[in-house]
Amino acid sequence: MINFSKIWLIIKREYKTRVQTKSFMLSTFLTPLLILGIIGLLIFITVSSTDNEAPKQVIVIDETGRMFEPLRQLNANRYIPISASQSVDQIRDLIMEDELDGYVFFDQTFLSEGTPATFVHNGSGGITFFESLRSDVRDVTRQIRLEDNEVSEEVIAIFEERPALENRRLNETGVDEQSNAFLSSIGGILIGVFIFIGLFGYGAILMRSVIEEKTSRIVEIITSSVKPIELMLGKLLGVCLVALTQFSLWIATYAGVTILAAPVAQFFINQRMGDLQNSLIAVDAKGTAANVPSDIDLSFLEQFSIDPLFILYFFVFFVLGFLMYSSIFAAIGAAVDSEQDSQQFMTPVMLPIFLGYMLNFRIAEAPDSTLAIMASLFPLTSPINMVTRMLVSNVPFWEVILSILLLILSLIGMLLLAARIYRTGILMYGKKPTFKELYKWIKQA
Amino acid sequence: MSLVIDVQNVSKHFGKATAVNQVSFGVEKGQIFGLLGPNGAGKTTTIRMINHILNPDTGHISILGEAVSPKSQERIGYLPEERGLYKKMKVFDQLMYLAQLKGLSQTAAKTAIEFWLDRFEASSWKKKEVSELSKGMSQKIQFIATVAHDPEIYIFDEPFSGLDPINSEMLKEVILEEKNRGKTILFSTHRMEQVEQMCDDICLFNQGKAVLQGNLQSIKQSFGNNTVLLDFIGDSEFLNQLEGVRVNNRSTNFAEIRLLEGASPQHILEIAMKHAEIQRFEIVQPSLQDIFISTVNDTKVAV
Repeated sequence: MINFSKIWLIIKREYKTRVQTKSFMLSTFLTPLLILGIIGLLIFITVSSTDNEAPKQVIVIDETGRMFEPLRQLNANRYIPISASQSVDQIRDLIMEDELDGYVFFDQTFLSEGTPATFVHNGSGGITFFESLRSDVRDVTRQIRLEDNEVSEEVIAIFEERPALENRRLNETGVDEQSNAFLSSIGGILIGVFIFIGLFGYGAILMRSVIEEKTSRIVEIITSSVKPIELMLGKLLGVCLVALTQFSLWIATYAGVTILAAPVAQFFINQRMGDLQNSLIAVDAKGTAANVPSDIDLSFLEQFSIDPLFILYFFVFFVLGFLMYSSIFAAIGAAVDSEQDSQQFMTPVMLPIFLGYMLNFRIAEAPDSTLAIMASLFPLTSPINMVTRMLVSNVPFWEVILSILLLILSLIGMLLLAARIYRTGILMYGKKPTFKELYKWIKQA
Repeated sequence: MSLVIDVQNVSKHFGKATAVNQVSFGVEKGQIFGLLGPNGAGKTTTIRMINHILNPDTGHISILGEAVSPKSQERIGYLPEERGLYKKMKVFDQLMYLAQLKGLSQTAAKTAIEFWLDRFEASSWKKKEVSELSKGMSQKIQFIATVAHDPEIYIFDEPFSGLDPINSEMLKEVILEEKNRGKTILFSTHRMEQVEQMCDDICLFNQGKAVLQGNLQSIKQSFGNNTVLLDFIGDSEFLNQLEGVRVNNRSTNFAEIRLLEGASPQHILEIAMKHAEIQRFEIVQPSLQDIFISTVNDTKVAV
């Protein structure tokens, strides 16, 4: 009994009036710039493993007489000797004036009795600096002990061994590919935030538009032509299409950038190599060009590409989640006369969305924990959490299907409840209804 | 003759409150039908049920012989009491949207809207947003939205409220013109002079009930020549001594006196002559205003 051609008219209006606004254009074209910035930052983080901070300087007060030399050999810039005239107090003054980053004190009994060494510093450098200092001290100490105990070369070699562990993730087609757990966790968190903002932002847009139709009284004219449920469905689908349009544009931009990134980067690198080689050839006719690395590995850029199947799932979960949450937003908009009045009803709706958002960080860390599985199946959080989980880990197919089914069921339930509140609410003016009254509206046949 | 709008034993409750209680009335083709009554009497609820915006709890409503449905909605042009348009939408787009929702094809909607915009000299507003229009202008656009799909029935809820005199006169003209084209019109109002000028039949609502209905002229006649108009010079104190009457309207030297059961106009004249100098004494039919007030008061007493 639902008139689809009229719903189509409503969808068209909702879509057109939104897509043609300046704010839509702005947010659509500015957000890719933001994404570009984030990608740039991620590439920067991945590529530049060496930090170009000024080297830290640490004075070594070595009462054992054996620690300083090996440390200096490890890092001559960092470890400097104490000069004969310096007292500890003078060194402390230097540290307080930021002339020096710190000093390490090895007691006479450090090697013999294992008295702890002390690191006194001005607080700069942070945890990574402290960790690298500790590992230097540990390495040197181990080296000395090995020598003292006249351990054979073979054993020393065993200790120096650093077995490599390559991180490769097996994908659906059975091909193992380079995996970067850090990157996919970040991606998982970002995509979750993306859906969270989408659910919230577009839900709020929809609610505002319902309130506007109600307060401007146009709703009475519309309902003299179509059923309230038709109006509500048309609005939901229209706003949903706007969101999908925006997301598609963004994904297209992102895909374009990641596909183009490798060739473009390669082009610039080659050009620089060429310049370098030319200049070298100019200097030395025989060519030391062989010393210049001929290629730089850009395969890490592939990690930024998105699987089309994942995009499909992303859309499925977003659309279902959006329709479920926004039908409630529409009902709230219909029940109240102004946005201020909506606050009281918003709180219970916002809680599960926020829950999903908060859980997201845990799920990116431990995508296969019981908590993660529950959150990605529970319909109120699955639109956010399942998508994150799918990006971070390989989710069994049946879990995805079960999650979609549960989501569809609760979507239908929410739609039916919301439609009843909506139908009564849009024609009620004046007093803000209580939860009890909303319940009555739902019960009315 | 078959009824264009047929309302039978319709009731509607909101929670414990009864908005409409066992109401029946019929509107014949080509009539102008007035729905009268104080605020909260159930007029708007009844109109919404006729428009299939609300469903009656009990009873039956049919339009042109068929039960109300999305189909019947397309044959009605409805102007609600509280007017509203999309403020941020262009006039032409908005009218196209509303006309198509009423079932018009795109081309038919375009023709009709251009005709009406032209008729109201509003063609130059096409590309303007409604928020840019003056109140009078947006009232015209609202009216076009009601008539563009050329319905057989018009329903206006308080059509004259908030209209400036020019638009008010224009609306009256269009209503009479549409009646002459054979359209059926139902409107609700407080304004008695408009009802007396325009309506064929009326139905008076009070506290959710239809307390009085029928042909306007016959209703007035049925009350008979039961009203005395008196112009006098002198002390008006004597009016308080009259028995078996109700003084509906009095000022320093005028009184409109309604005769109740058994009261004689001659007796009133006698008393009046003893106390004041009489300048006019006339026996007339009651005004609609008087019928309205006394009927409403009677039903209040009855409840």
